Amino acid sequence: MIEAPDLSLSALSPFLFVFGAALVGVLVESFAPRHVRQPTQVALALVGTVGGFACTLLLAGRGEVTAAGALAVDGAGLFLQATIAGLGALSVLLFAERALDPARSAFVASAAVPAGSPRDRELLTDERVQTEVYPLATFAVGGMMLFVAANDLLVMFIALEVLSLPLYLICGLSRRRRLLSQEAAVKYFLLGAFASAFFLYGLALVYGATGTVQLAGIRQSVTDDGTGTLLVLGLGLLVVGLMFKASVAPFHTWTPDVYQGAPTPVTAFMAACTKVAAFGAILRLLYVAFGTADWTWRPLVYGIAIVSMVVGAVLGLTQTDVKRMLAYSSIAHAGFLLTGVIGLDAGTGSGLAATLFYLLAYGLTTVGAFAVVTLVRDGDGEATALAQWAGLARRSPLTAAIMTFLLLALAGIPLTSGFTGKFAVFRAAIEVGAWPLAVVALVTSAVAGFFYLRLVVLMYFSEPAEDGPSVGVPGLPTTIVLAVTVAATLVLGVVPGSVLDLADGAARLVG
Amino acid sequence: MDTVPATGLLASSWLLIALPLAGAAVLLLGGRRTDRWGHLLAIGTVTAAFVLAVLSTVELAGLDERSVGVDLFTFISTGRLDVGAGLLVDPLSMTFALLITGVGALIHVYSVGYMAHDPGRRRFFAYLNLFVAAMLLLVLGDSFVALYVGWEGVGLASYLLIAFWYTRPAAATAAKKAFVMNRVGDVGLALAIFLMFTQLGTTSYEGVFGSVGLLAGGTVTGIGLLLLLGACGKSGQFPLQAWLPDAMEGPTPVSALIHAATMVTAGVYLIARSAPLFDAAPVAQTVVVVIGAVTIMIGAVAGCAYDDIKKVLAWSTVSQIGYMFLAVGLGPVGYAAGIAHLLTHGFFKAGLFLGAGSVMHGMGDRTDMRRFGGLATRMRTTFVTFGLGYLALIGFPFLSGYWTKDAIIEAAFDRGGTSGWVLGGVAVLGAGLTAFYMTRLVLLTFFGEPRWEDGVHPHESPAVMTLPMVVLAVGSVGAGFLLVEAFPLADWLAPVFGEPEEATAHAIPPLAVSVLVTVVVALGVLTAWLLVGRREVPTTAPARVSAPVRAARAGLYADAVNEAVFMRPGIRLVRALRVVDDKGVDGVVNGIGAGLGGSSARLGRAQTGFVRSYALGMLGGAVLVAGALLAVTAG
Amino acid sequence: MGGIEIGTAETVVFWVLGPIALAGALGMVLARNAVHSALFLVNTMLALGVFYVVQEAPFLGAVQIIVYTGAIMILFLFVLMLVGRDSSDSVVETLRGQRVAATVLGIGFAGLVGAGIARATEGMVVTGLEGVQGGEGGAADGNIEAIAGLLFTRYLLAFEVTSALLITAAVGAMVLAHIEREPGSRLTQKERSRARFLTSDHPQTLPGPGVYARANSIAAPGRLPDGSPAEASYATGVEPQVVEELPPGDPAGDGRDPGAGRGHGPDAALGTTRGVTR
Repeated sequence: MIEAPDLSLSALSPFLFVFGAALVGVLVESFAPRHVRQPTQVALALVGTVGGFACTLLLAGRGEVTAAGALAVDGAGLFLQATIAGLGALSVLLFAERALDPARSAFVASAAVPAGSPRDRELLTDERVQTEVYPLATFAVGGMMLFVAANDLLVMFIALEVLSLPLYLICGLSRRRRLLSQEAAVKYFLLGAFASAFFLYGLALVYGATGTVQLAGIRQSVTDDGTGTLLVLGLGLLVVGLMFKASVAPFHTWTPDVYQGAPTPVTAFMAACTKVAAFGAILRLLYVAFGTADWTWRPLVYGIAIVSMVVGAVLGLTQTDVKRMLAYSSIAHAGFLLTGVIGLDAGTGSGLAATLFYLLAYGLTTVGAFAVVTLVRDGDGEATALAQWAGLARRSPLTAAIMTFLLLALAGIPLTSGFTGKFAVFRAAIEVGAWPLAVVALVTSAVAGFFYLRLVVLMYFSEPAEDGPSVGVPGLPTTIVLAVTVAATLVLGVVPGSVLDLADGAARLVG
Repeated sequence: MDTVPATGLLASSWLLIALPLAGAAVLLLGGRRTDRWGHLLAIGTVTAAFVLAVLSTVELAGLDERSVGVDLFTFISTGRLDVGAGLLVDPLSMTFALLITGVGALIHVYSVGYMAHDPGRRRFFAYLNLFVAAMLLLVLGDSFVALYVGWEGVGLASYLLIAFWYTRPAAATAAKKAFVMNRVGDVGLALAIFLMFTQLGTTSYEGVFGSVGLLAGGTVTGIGLLLLLGACGKSGQFPLQAWLPDAMEGPTPVSALIHAATMVTAGVYLIARSAPLFDAAPVAQTVVVVIGAVTIMIGAVAGCAYDDIKKVLAWSTVSQIGYMFLAVGLGPVGYAAGIAHLLTHGFFKAGLFLGAGSVMHGMGDRTDMRRFGGLATRMRTTFVTFGLGYLALIGFPFLSGYWTKDAIIEAAFDRGGTSGWVLGGVAVLGAGLTAFYMTRLVLLTFFGEPRWEDGVHPHESPAVMTLPMVVLAVGSVGAGFLLVEAFPLADWLAPVFGEPEEATAHAIPPLAVSVLVTVVVALGVLTAWLLVGRREVPTTAPARVSAPVRAARAGLYADAVNEAVFMRPGIRLVRALRVVDDKGVDGVVNGIGAGLGGSSARLGRAQTGFVRSYALGMLGGAVLVAGALLAVTAG
Repeated sequence: MGGIEIGTAETVVFWVLGPIALAGALGMVLARNAVHSALFLVNTMLALGVFYVVQEAPFLGAVQIIVYTGAIMILFLFVLMLVGRDSSDSVVETLRGQRVAATVLGIGFAGLVGAGIARATEGMVVTGLEGVQGGEGGAADGNIEAIAGLLFTRYLLAFEVTSALLITAAVGAMVLAHIEREPGSRLTQKERSRARFLTSDHPQTLPGPGVYARANSIAAPGRLPDGSPAEASYATGVEPQVVEELPPGDPAGDGRDPGAGRGHGPDAALGTTRGVTR
């Protein structure tokens, strides 16, 4: 006789909401006539993400483990879930933008039509859209939310796949520059599969060493039996898989190509939400499962953080494409986030709260920055070459001002959320004595600041090119996204107190 | 000084700052769309702030504990670092808030007329709003850091407004000069704040003043002198006075608001606010007094020699702020007197500047008084309001200046001893000189034969300009009596500076001082009439003049001294540094830059675009990770 | 829970099938022909299935064989056949040092992990599956019940969420492969036939490619009676290629030496396109 496991429906409600919306979306795709699909799908995706967001807020303060120990409902998890759902909703708004592209969407009309074929050219200006992106993105949001709450390596792995698979797909659905987009999707898929293999291998080794896949069980085993070679190898391979998703150097190589090739709204989604999800899982793995053996992974994370910061900052210097530049910025930020992970010390450190705050701040700023990228367009779609942004401030002072502000936030200038976030993680690192890491982080911040400022200088102090790009007038969705992200970046920079407190209160992991 | 948490209306005193700031933001970001109604919005925000300030003051007056702290937000509160921002609403700050918003609102209204035909009117109002917000932050902030932010904010607004007509080289140069000389002062202020922070770990007024006693005497004196340096820069006091007359290149409303009524008095506010610090540092206090006295004389002497109506008023401002410095340097007896003079000065000097602006408006933007004359009949309202402001400034009995300036002179004599006599004497002499140069100004401008250039048709300004002048003239007449006799400012400010102590033993009886000053003033007026009023005024300044006049015309050679003592060696130092910089620092920096760029390019080559090479990189990373972990656990 | 003895038969099976599984895995990676690669994988999967059975997990072994070898690999092969087995990628390595580095790192990684595992498992006590599958179903109920028990209790969430994965995969396949046609854009048989007769001067079927007994490539054109290629038989989308016709010395040949020294293998009789166009 099988005993039914305890399932707390309330604890599962965010997932039910998000996955439910995605499933209804698939049904809509199958049965609804084409002309109602776009509005319906947008509405559904928003209901799903916003509903998931609301559910996590309602759950705030809970601390329990449910679904036979497979799911942790705790402060940190809920904070990250809310972050992911919120950023997901913003990304869905970007997906839904109809005013910028002459064909009224950034997504392809029919993905199966070979790129460059006569039919493809015919469809380029067609207002039809592959509306499957909405349920797919919603699935990805669900996977990410599960990823940060997984209290079991197996659930974590499946969540990893649930979040990755839709991303691989929607990366390839750009309406313009389709070959580049498809190439990005294939690269992301192949490398993602490679990374998943590492994760799975690590999972197997950890299971072999401890006989369990539950984080709490692993922690117990680590505490009781110490760390054997098998366990440590497994840990290493798990970390490789997670670092890939977080685009931490040296597992970052996919990032620039995929960020560049994917449709920009998808890039915004990936850059913000995937980062949050990956770091949520990293925090959970390192602190819940291996928290009592932090001496094993601390030097490793220390080193990886330095590599990532240096690689991101240095390689960003010579980029000539805005999206690639932001990709390297994302790699550097992954390094900064890892300093927060280092600053996590059992009980005393403020690293967890700092990392949570940083993720929120970075996610909002990044979505905003990519939203600005969608505005600057020429005849071939988005104008992402840096040279094309020259003199943008003359053409559209407001756009340039918003971009400047967001770039300053990414650079970590005071009175922006970036400063508060960096300050928090560096401080957390210093608190546990990792001041050399903080010094490296400061230096690389300065180097990274150079390429952000280069774009600012380009926008303000260069003559605009004759046939330069124009700045599209965004519709309501993108306007909302820009308003929210800019306001949040400002508020988190000027009055971060309450959110820092919130992160502080949420900084709790159960397992 | 105990601060209680804010309640009621006072809790929303942040709106005082937020309103004009929002106005500036809308105007600057809104672009041309706001051209048509932008100035109205600007007036609206400042007026609303004024109304709020009045209501808050009424509420504050009703409280027992008239010092209210408003916690705005905690910027970063972690461990031992607690960076927050709050407002301090107390009689002193509210007094300033009233002055800034009240005079500010009037000048906004005036500017509608004055800038009516300027294409940059929206920009002008945006900057004015920005200035008001920054100035309010300066006076309302509850810590030296908040004050510093406001301090830099008003500096920025001042720079932008002096250079408002930036296409004129003179305006651009003047703005640069103001900016640079202010920087000198700002460095002092910044160093003072650093010193406080390192010594006390806090920069809030409450924290600093509460623990002044813990500091060594030398440190307090150092902080005091550094604060004074900051105050001198902002308020145009010796030795940093030279920028203020040049700042008259800005539009006249700016001169009235920023360079007469409010910003330049920030130095006085700083010293008054830091009263507990200065009370503990007698040396610094003495330096304040000396600087005040020296500046009174410099301003008064230079004011006698200029022919440009705005520059004369500017030197007069320098000199009057000297009086305020003198007052606040005298310690507890002088704080309230200094602030009272600051307020009345705000009224009459703003009124005078607006009058001057009105004259310029009528005379086609000319400022040379030798080309004026006989305007009393052509511009009646301007003449009457200007005249009242003039009488208030020279201390005509029972007008504003009489009450407040006399109080300062009295306090100077009361200091006692030789220094008391010297300071009092200087103050009295300054009053006489003031009477002289102001009478000269009025005679040259409004009386005598018209000496207008061809094509000038003086006319009265529109009502939107004269109305603020009338209001300010009323203030010039009545404010002094109200502040000194009817509702003594000293009582109102008691929570900040302590109960006013009745001076028991006067060195000279107050009545005698009044009589003395009045007589000296009368002498000044008479001299001016004899020298200017009765004679034919040449339309060009005589070239053959005595050495003192030449010196006065050159602003007592302040620029020359600055050039010889600071600028030339400075330039030489900069040149030397540049060699070091080019060869050494730049070499290193460029080297690092090139190195980074090169390594970036080299590292970038790993980004081949081929999935298999990316996968190889990941595999390499995985080997490193596994190896590192094994090494750590094995080792 | 003491260790159990490993039987001789099991040892023998392991040492026989182990190398085979490994060889299959390596062959899958190294084989140039996609079909061979797939078959190598089948080989490995089968060997794994046997391992499972030998290790007291008959259900897992059966599923392994039925699902992986039976269903998935056959699907793979179908796809390969549809796409065409000749559409192989260029195997010329253009990146300098890639192969060397890949080999070194691959061996390094294998060595590292292998050595680590070897060290960790040295002297490890062997536990039978029965000992650990004490899940909610209980060991006594056997392997299937134990798996079911775990699937619906401890791994319920993982099991359920997998459905999201499968739906995503299905939707993704549709998105990438399914071209929606406009309603009415697809002609009926009758319409097509009519159109052909009305517009074309060639209403009958086109001649087939020349695959009969001489070449197995669709790229080989059909021949007209005089031996020249029939242009109508060219396949659309494929470049026509000259075919090695006959073994050397055949009098029916067109006199061309069809590549001396390479025509003796069994393939030569069939004729192949390889080598001629390159």
